[in-house]
Amino acid sequence: MIDFTNVTRRFGSKTAVDDLSLSVRSGEVFALLGPNGAGKTTAIKMLVGLLRPNSGTVSVFGNDLVRQTRQAVAHIGYIPDQPFLYDKLSGREFLDFVGDMRGLDRDTRRQRIARECDNFDLGEFIDNLTETYSHGMKQRLVFASALLHDPAALVIDEPMVGLDPRRMRLVKDLLQQRAGEGAVVLMSTHTLAVAEEIADRIGIVDHGHLHFNGTIEQLRDKFPARHNSLESLFLEMTNGNNHP
Amino acid sequence: MAITTPEGNLPLLSGEAEARVFWRLRRRLLWTITRQSVSQGWLRLVLVVALSLVLWLGLFGLFSEGFFFLKLAITIANTHDQLLRAVFGMFFAALMVMLVFSATIILYSSLFHSRETAFLMTNPVRTERIFLHKFQEAIVLGSWGSLLMGSPMLVAHGMVAGAPWYYYAVLAPLMVAFVYIPASIGAIVCLLVVRCLPGARVRVLALPLAVIVVLAAWFVWSLTTGRQSDLLTPAWFREILGRLEFAQHRFLPSWWLSSGLLEAARGVWSESVLFLTVLIANALFFRQLAIGFAARLYRPAYSSLRGKGTLGQRKRRYWLDGLIRCATFALPKSTRLLIVKDLKLFRRDPVQWSQFLIFFGLLGLYFLNIREFTYNISISAWVNMISFLNVAVVGLLLSTFTTRFIFPLISLEGRHFWILGLLPLRRDTILWSKFLFAVGGAIVPCSALILLSDFMLGVSPAVLVSHQLTSVILCLGLAGIAVGLGARLPNLRERSPSRIAAGFGGTLSLVLSTLYIVVVVMLAAIPCHFGLISQRAQMVAGHAARQSIAYPWIQSGLWVGILASFLLAVAATVIPLRIGFKAFRRMEF
Repeated sequence: MIDFTNVTRRFGSKTAVDDLSLSVRSGEVFALLGPNGAGKTTAIKMLVGLLRPNSGTVSVFGNDLVRQTRQAVAHIGYIPDQPFLYDKLSGREFLDFVGDMRGLDRDTRRQRIARECDNFDLGEFIDNLTETYSHGMKQRLVFASALLHDPAALVIDEPMVGLDPRRMRLVKDLLQQRAGEGAVVLMSTHTLAVAEEIADRIGIVDHGHLHFNGTIEQLRDKFPARHNSLESLFLEMTNGNNHP
Repeated sequence: MAITTPEGNLPLLSGEAEARVFWRLRRRLLWTITRQSVSQGWLRLVLVVALSLVLWLGLFGLFSEGFFFLKLAITIANTHDQLLRAVFGMFFAALMVMLVFSATIILYSSLFHSRETAFLMTNPVRTERIFLHKFQEAIVLGSWGSLLMGSPMLVAHGMVAGAPWYYYAVLAPLMVAFVYIPASIGAIVCLLVVRCLPGARVRVLALPLAVIVVLAAWFVWSLTTGRQSDLLTPAWFREILGRLEFAQHRFLPSWWLSSGLLEAARGVWSESVLFLTVLIANALFFRQLAIGFAARLYRPAYSSLRGKGTLGQRKRRYWLDGLIRCATFALPKSTRLLIVKDLKLFRRDPVQWSQFLIFFGLLGLYFLNIREFTYNISISAWVNMISFLNVAVVGLLLSTFTTRFIFPLISLEGRHFWILGLLPLRRDTILWSKFLFAVGGAIVPCSALILLSDFMLGVSPAVLVSHQLTSVILCLGLAGIAVGLGARLPNLRERSPSRIAAGFGGTLSLVLSTLYIVVVVMLAAIPCHFGLISQRAQMVAGHAARQSIAYPWIQSGLWVGILASFLLAVAATVIPLRIGFKAFRRMEF
């Protein structure tokens, strides 16, 4: 379970996240939607322990991200929008390092690496240095590394960036499968079609405020007869397209 | 696949297990880098090893001569010992200050602005482990240069003093223990500044640095402003030792280190081991203190740093852009815009201009103090040699600048080439703008520095003009080499300018630049040198002997040298640029 309780985060005079309260339950896919600069990535960075809230608390399965950072992030598999890889490690060595950090023993690491190689078709390039990878290959490797320890919470910032249609389908299925097995999935995205397709619940953030939190049906009920697509509902919620 | 239940015990690693994981990571990275360097970057590897060896041996020879001279010149054992203590104390005190600053700056960059730390922080790793991982890197990066420069001095001292074997055995442990202390202090300073004053961090770090530079300048000035008649007299020694007294304070780690080394060289091993123990104990204490600070401050500091907005900082320096626009009024508008764009990128990256400023500032300090050193500046040939050496030093510094900052410009542009590629611009315009930016940015500081050196040395107007011409020739050639090779041998995959510069193309650019400087300076210096010697000989010999001195030949040599310099400059500018233009026109991004 992921909990944001009255979370506020400021950058200088700008409030990026303003009094955010949000809970995402186990077995749920939650999509955080919002225009550029709405505060989605800031919320995610607080969730994975990179930023601290100015006020309020963020917790993962009861572990406070500020006081019990290690315990909290141990539950999380995080896929950032701009993944980091060690250029001078091969994909296998990188996965081995991540598994090692996550406390997996050698045999388990080998099995899980083989499993994720199959899932994400890493076999062809897994033993090459990551400096030779394309963006899509890097993104697949990062997905594999985030799933290596079978996390109870998956946090993804822009999940579809750099993936080809086949891998996009794979990721969508995988996220639903993980949620089906009881994991919490929280993703931030601009791809409304993905949110519409796989999210059980969506949150629309704008100027740091959570303007809507519920299912797409509930959103449609809120604006009856005027809009049908999530895109038009989103534009209505975020006040048209007058954003940077 | 089954998820790890949140209720289950999560396998968080123990401190020792974490250390092993990071050790394995480091070993793998080191192995890959070594393997790649040997198989792909062999030219760079060979050059680095060879040049380091040459530098090491040169320093070793210099220090050996120096220590022999001191041994012969100062026969009173007590005075000799005092002088050595003063020299070692001063050297290590200066090293300590530099290590504090380098650790602060390196850790500021690696702890707070590296993508690796952001990645590690999202994993269940102890904050202290992340800090230690980067701290160890900072120690190696911050101290290897100092050790490379310091080790020949220590080995030379041991050999001249006839030190026993354990002097050499304690060298490494003493140095390693010593390095940990300033590095830990630097780490604590870095964490405290970022945590407590995230908005004013640059000013807070720059202020003491400026104070130290001013103090160092004053100190060098005060050391070198003595009357020549006092030189090497007992009074002079007493005065110098008195001025260096502050570096021998008993609470300074640099004093523990110099005492440990000197006692070991004298054969008093028990005293040496005592100082080694003091150093190790303090190193461990400061290291532990730094880890403690990191455990409490690192994550909050990281978060606060990102909480500081950068709005409002961009509007102040537009006068410089305006100035450049005015200065380049004769150029086409597109070229001017590209030059101003590169200038903006340059000045908004303090890593770039701060290095430039520090090295040129240090050189300026040296030139300002040049009269105070004990050269006999009444001999024109000697002055001429020093002045040309100064030109060569400025050129070598400029070559590191063009290799480090100008060479990677095309590679970095390549990553975002679609931005320029979609504009109605000719590709040649882009390359011309880089070349003009490099030449313009180089000529002003180089000519000013050379002018300062000439003014302080009081060279003749003819030599001054030849130096200014040499400076222009160097700037044109070095810019041509860096821009041309940068376009011919780009590295479009790499984001880091320093890594691009460290690759094959960058190394080749540096080697060609160095050769170019050596040849250009020699071509100008040698005829000038012999011309001055011949003039002096004529003055001494008088009218009658003038015919016997081959003055016309020397004059011809001067003209040939100048002509050859110009031809070389044209070749070094035009050939790489032509190659670069050709490659850049055909390049696919």
